[in-house]
Amino acid sequence: MSEASLAPVRARHPYLLLLPTALVLGVFFIYPVAVALYRSFFAWDLLTDPQFVGTAHYSRLLAQGAVAGLVSRTLAYSLVVVLGAGSLGLLLAVLLNRPGRLYAFVRGSIFSAYIVSWVAVALLWLWILDPDAGVLSRAATGLGLGRIDWLGDPDLALYSLAGVSVWKITGYAMVIFLAGLQDIPKSVLEAAALDGATAWRRFWHVTWPLLRPTTVFVGTTSLIMSFQAFDIVRVMTQGGPIESTTVFVYAIYEQVFMNLRVGRASALTMVFFVFLLVLTAFQLWLWRRFSGRRTMGGS
Amino acid sequence: MLTRRTLSGLIAGALGAAAVGGCNRKRLPPGHISLWFSYGGRNRKVLLELVKQFHREQHAVRVVPTFQGDYFEGLTKLRTGLYVEQAPTVTHVIGEALPYLAEAQVLEPLEDIGSEVIDDLVPALSQAGTFVGGGDRPLVGLPFNRSTPVAYYNKSIFRQLGLRPPKTWAELRSAARSACLRDSERTTRFGFSCPVDWWFWVAMVGQAGGEVVAPNGEVTLGDQAGVRALRLWQTMVHDERSMKPPPGRDYNAWEAANNDFLAGRVAMIWTSTAFLRYLEDNAPFAVGTAPLPSQQRAAVPTGGTFFVVPKGARPEERTAAMTFLRWMMAPAQANAWATRTGYMTVSKRGRAKLAQDGFFAQHPNDRVTVDQLKHARPWPWATQLLRIQREAVQPRLEAAVLARRDAATVLDEARKSLEGV
Repeated sequence: MSEASLAPVRARHPYLLLLPTALVLGVFFIYPVAVALYRSFFAWDLLTDPQFVGTAHYSRLLAQGAVAGLVSRTLAYSLVVVLGAGSLGLLLAVLLNRPGRLYAFVRGSIFSAYIVSWVAVALLWLWILDPDAGVLSRAATGLGLGRIDWLGDPDLALYSLAGVSVWKITGYAMVIFLAGLQDIPKSVLEAAALDGATAWRRFWHVTWPLLRPTTVFVGTTSLIMSFQAFDIVRVMTQGGPIESTTVFVYAIYEQVFMNLRVGRASALTMVFFVFLLVLTAFQLWLWRRFSGRRTMGGS
Repeated sequence: MLTRRTLSGLIAGALGAAAVGGCNRKRLPPGHISLWFSYGGRNRKVLLELVKQFHREQHAVRVVPTFQGDYFEGLTKLRTGLYVEQAPTVTHVIGEALPYLAEAQVLEPLEDIGSEVIDDLVPALSQAGTFVGGGDRPLVGLPFNRSTPVAYYNKSIFRQLGLRPPKTWAELRSAARSACLRDSERTTRFGFSCPVDWWFWVAMVGQAGGEVVAPNGEVTLGDQAGVRALRLWQTMVHDERSMKPPPGRDYNAWEAANNDFLAGRVAMIWTSTAFLRYLEDNAPFAVGTAPLPSQQRAAVPTGGTFFVVPKGARPEERTAAMTFLRWMMAPAQANAWATRTGYMTVSKRGRAKLAQDGFFAQHPNDRVTVDQLKHARPWPWATQLLRIQREAVQPRLEAAVLARRDAATVLDEARKSLEGV
């Protein structure tokens, strides 16, 4: 096919084709970000006239260490969710990657948690984690671990929430890993077996390298889900105790909807935006690196 | 066939309609008014029954009630509704928000409700008595579900241990210690519980002789009284392990305290009079109420909400709203609401009628809440009051009590947080 045949009939056609996407992106993403940036330079409560305050909101957020606290809490939560859901999902996928109705039933059961709404999951786990009457607390007491206040202990609450998120999205990670596993040619594994490789060596030297792009995908999507954590915080801890579960999205909600601080919430949104940009760049780098290896390994 | 021009026209038309529609306040059918409310559970049922009764008694005004979440969620929606010109005809807001909304000039004056209604309001619960100088300002809030904090105790436990409701902070500590049950190191029953919440802290600041905002407008957070209040909680939680700080924030913690009390995990709680009927009806033991204990003096803040009419309603909607509010404030309705919920009746004539009918003799717990009203301390008319509550104090109480941060430092940080933007 010649180069000329790829040229558009009219010069404006490519732009017209791009227009719907550009419109959606512009209206729902770029415009709101621009508005948030503009509002972040004002003190405004929606009722009285906005007052220009320059970069005061940013100075305040940085000076009080609020941003550092939010970043560390959000990252800690995300790390547990991504690593927990990823590793459990992979383990379950490897164990359940077999034919048969029983395995299908178990796979379906595990995945079912993923399709339940976050609010329902949060309410369910509020009961399970109740320090006095909850199933998990009673089990811990039975094992001699004493009374554990899963959601009331500031050192534990964030990890309890992360644990609930892991429970919910592990099914999702498992399904993606199952798809990845079923994409690996059986001949490669059979060849390794014929060469005398043990099950562990087959996994480590064949399956795992070929699953890397899937792993990066699961990691990326789990990370996105973990950064969107809101419902679970709102229902289970409301950001407490002592701010220990106030992650970024919840902090933005708290500022705008509870404290009536539109400007401060907008500044926080912009900081979160930059934070996500940096993380996205890092992920892109990871994606390219591991996708590249896979191509080399598979060729 | 859909041509490009037709498509462009459709998009332009849709955008135009959306823009025009977005600028207009949503119209209800003639004679209808909207009522946004924040009552849940039993109180919601009572309100909806009252609305139905209002509809049965007259046909000119129809009220469309909509539940809007808890007080703070309701307030957020009201503020957003005002911004997009979609505010309800009538709603109710917490007392702390009233000065803020009034000074933002988003509330209709309500003087034309009539002197018959205004003069009949229980002074401590009306705008005039709830706020310092509240009577000198335009009337923008009509009280309806008004409350104070009160002590609830498990009569069985108290009788069994020979305890009496505490009258001072020292007695509170002593009673709470005595009512604790411990299984080796584990506390199986706490003597006392109370949401680590601004409202109860304000009560203790008053009892310790302080004011959150000084008469000259300076935000003092009670100075040493504020510190003493926090230290009492710290001592009871950490040193004496006699107080259980309920988990959760805002109303989640209140609900947790109620549940602990009903389950017998706590012998005594402080919570709102609003839960009186609920606790009496659901406790498997006899429930007693008592005034909050004193330190330097007896003091309680008032709580609950005021009916308000946000600006933006058409004249006929406003007239209909006043008809509804006048009916709700009448002694019969004020009493129906109070006796079925636990909030205090806001009508002087209604209260006299209850006394005359022997209601307080039959319900001594209600008598306690009414008697305690003489110790109610007014709130400052400060536009900052909501910010002091939501941003400066409330988020820091947990840190002071649960993590035992130095009380004076925490309150100092709270005062400083109000500076700047």
